[in-house]
Amino acid sequence: MTAIAQSTTPRTSRSVPRFRLGGVGMSALSLTLGVLAWELVGRVFALPFFPPFTVVVGTLMEMIGRGDIVGNLAVSLSNLVAGFTISLVIGIVVGTAMGRYWRVRAALGVYVYALLTAPSLVFAPIFFSIFGAGQGSIIAVVVMYSTFVMIINTASAVQNVPAAMLEMGRSYGASEWQLVTRVIVPAALPTMLAGIRLGMGRAVLGMINGEMFIAVTGLGRLVTQAGKSFDGAAVLAVLIVIIVVALGAVGLVQMVDRALTGWVPDTSKEKS
Amino acid sequence: MIEINQLTKTFTSQDGTPVHALGGVDLTVNDNEFLTLLGPSGCGKTTMLKMIAGLQGWDGGTITIDGKAVTGPGPDRSMVFQNFALLPWATVMDNVCFGLRLRGTERRAREERAQELIEMVGLSGFESKRPGELSGGMQQRVGIARALAVDPQILLMDEPFGAVDEQTRRLLQEELLSIWERNRLTVVFVTHSMEEAVLLGDRVVLMSARPGQISEIVEVPLARPRSSDVGGLERSREYTEITAHLWDQLRSMHSEHRAVEAVR
Amino acid sequence: MTSLTHEPERSARPAMLNRLDSPLTYQILTFALFAIGWQIYGTFFGGLLVPTFTETVAALVPTLVSAEFWEAFVVSNQALVLGFAAAVAIGVPTGIVLGRFRTLERLSNVYLNILLVTPMAAIIPLLVMSVGFGLLSRVILVTLFAVVMIIVNVRAGIRQVDPSLIQMARTFGAGEAQIWREILLPGALPSIMTGIRLGLGRAVTGMVIVELLMVSLALGGLILEYRGSFNGPALYAVIVAIIAEALVLISAAQWLERRIAPWAPSAGKARS
Repeated sequence: MTAIAQSTTPRTSRSVPRFRLGGVGMSALSLTLGVLAWELVGRVFALPFFPPFTVVVGTLMEMIGRGDIVGNLAVSLSNLVAGFTISLVIGIVVGTAMGRYWRVRAALGVYVYALLTAPSLVFAPIFFSIFGAGQGSIIAVVVMYSTFVMIINTASAVQNVPAAMLEMGRSYGASEWQLVTRVIVPAALPTMLAGIRLGMGRAVLGMINGEMFIAVTGLGRLVTQAGKSFDGAAVLAVLIVIIVVALGAVGLVQMVDRALTGWVPDTSKEKS
Repeated sequence: MIEINQLTKTFTSQDGTPVHALGGVDLTVNDNEFLTLLGPSGCGKTTMLKMIAGLQGWDGGTITIDGKAVTGPGPDRSMVFQNFALLPWATVMDNVCFGLRLRGTERRAREERAQELIEMVGLSGFESKRPGELSGGMQQRVGIARALAVDPQILLMDEPFGAVDEQTRRLLQEELLSIWERNRLTVVFVTHSMEEAVLLGDRVVLMSARPGQISEIVEVPLARPRSSDVGGLERSREYTEITAHLWDQLRSMHSEHRAVEAVR
Repeated sequence: MTSLTHEPERSARPAMLNRLDSPLTYQILTFALFAIGWQIYGTFFGGLLVPTFTETVAALVPTLVSAEFWEAFVVSNQALVLGFAAAVAIGVPTGIVLGRFRTLERLSNVYLNILLVTPMAAIIPLLVMSVGFGLLSRVILVTLFAVVMIIVNVRAGIRQVDPSLIQMARTFGAGEAQIWREILLPGALPSIMTGIRLGLGRAVTGMVIVELLMVSLALGGLILEYRGSFNGPALYAVIVAIIAEALVLISAAQWLERRIAPWAPSAGKARS
């Protein structure tokens, strides 16, 4: 007999074999329930700003048919890719330098933290005044959004590489360049990638917010336009596209992460 | 007296295969006895301790204490944890008071009692420090003081000195002995160190893994009190013989285990 | 870490140079370079909307004493205070419930993940359509920005409480209520405070975004107004003021976090 009531901690409940939905199954169930609730609320209350799911999907198909989505999506993605690539390069180079050399850390640390903390969109008017109302400004906003979180994560990853590993490298006569490229960056990679994932998430935010502020191109402008013509279904349709882009972008980074850091034991990996 | 009868427990591992943690264990722990449980990892010694503590359920068999079946934690038992399990936000004083507070002891009385125990484990002056400011050895002294503060009859210790360095470990062993020589509680002490098991225990229960079973119970004939001359004991013939015998047993368990692995 | 910093070489030089070779020096040096670069850019390439550094500093003083600025400041912060308070009031209990009940957590997980990466700004058109341009819609947006961050951190805090502490309490006969009061809530407090701090950062972002993208009023309105009238120095001064407010608020939250949970292992890890 089991004399003691199972405790609330997950540890003991593991001993009871029980049917369990996997993470994917649970998400699918949850999303299905959500969509059903959405449809129901949309039908029953008939609010202009909250049309039922089927209407939104219909509108989305229509917009795709008219060619509204594809063109704007391509522009948005090009903003995202350009901005993210620039951020990635800056993030890795500056972050590694900050983690490795205390003078660089002293020179930049406070400012990087400040810029990470500050609401990034307030810089949009500045970019607007420098680059004008075009893609350049939007890309600059994306860079503003995503660079600093990558710098900080890279810096702390590099700084936390165990001293013993560096001593090992030096004992085999590694030069500074070899030390950075062969020991430090690979050892720091898991934490760096966590930062890169956060950076990608923020890049998507920057893309949409930038496009909404400098409303000339992209999905952001499409949302603003639909809002101005009080077309709730169109707003939600574009929102769905945006969510898919956001999840896809972050998922892509996660895939790269998994491919590159297969050697890290699961237990020490940060849970997302 | 703790009586354990035909205790069995099977876990299901994550890939679905059953793991026999305990396969029918019989054991009696006498009052005022210091019993040490020794065995390789996976032999179920910690699992069994947690069952006695009332923290963990089992599949078959019984555990009784003075004739009453164990159905959960009780005021007659308290436990000392391997990772100390101190509240990081509470001071040393509040940590030692913790059990008394849960049981509704009034503030003045529990602080007086805690103060006694803090002095007993040699932490006077550290009352208002937090665990993060203490060394591992000092943290476990807090853990021991907390367990003793509630006046248990049985002290359950789960590899309490496994996470501290060798020198601290020896000091803590001596201190535990001298505390025990004064209060003579019933102690069940889990360890993976043969030396520790022999030095502390009246009897050493040697367990083997898969399924977890008692393979031998060894009486330790070393005279008490032991705390005054630990070094002398360790050079004695009895001590050397028992540890050598235990090592023989453990080594054969390991080579058997390796053979099993190879067959798989 | 010391092996990374190359400290030993410092001792070989004269004392005077050593004293100059300090973090503060590099910090100031960076700022000076930035100011000089800005000054040169503003003077030679600036055009109408890009003032020089000195012009901006000069414009800061009259801006900060003008009634117009403070009126805008009050209006902006009204939405911030109300929205952030609502986010804490909703987010903390929700996070606790999700941290405690596994099934709810698994059902909600997919939505929280979506909300974390979705650009909230894109629902601004829906907000306008449903509740108009008033205070309420600004408050709602600020709440939406902050609440997800708070929920996610509180949930993680509850789930990360060391299970051996719960076992320990149970050996002393603690019941469910005592485990909550004595172990789970204090154990989760550092994460709750982190969630509140990160949520505050997002709330400030929400405040700025709503004013820049939805309703041109208050501080965001001032930015757009100065941009329209090509008043570069005042435009930049307002931006500097907003950044300063954000930094002051976040620093205050960080200080509070350290005061309330001083045992936590390093408050202030970037995760946003």
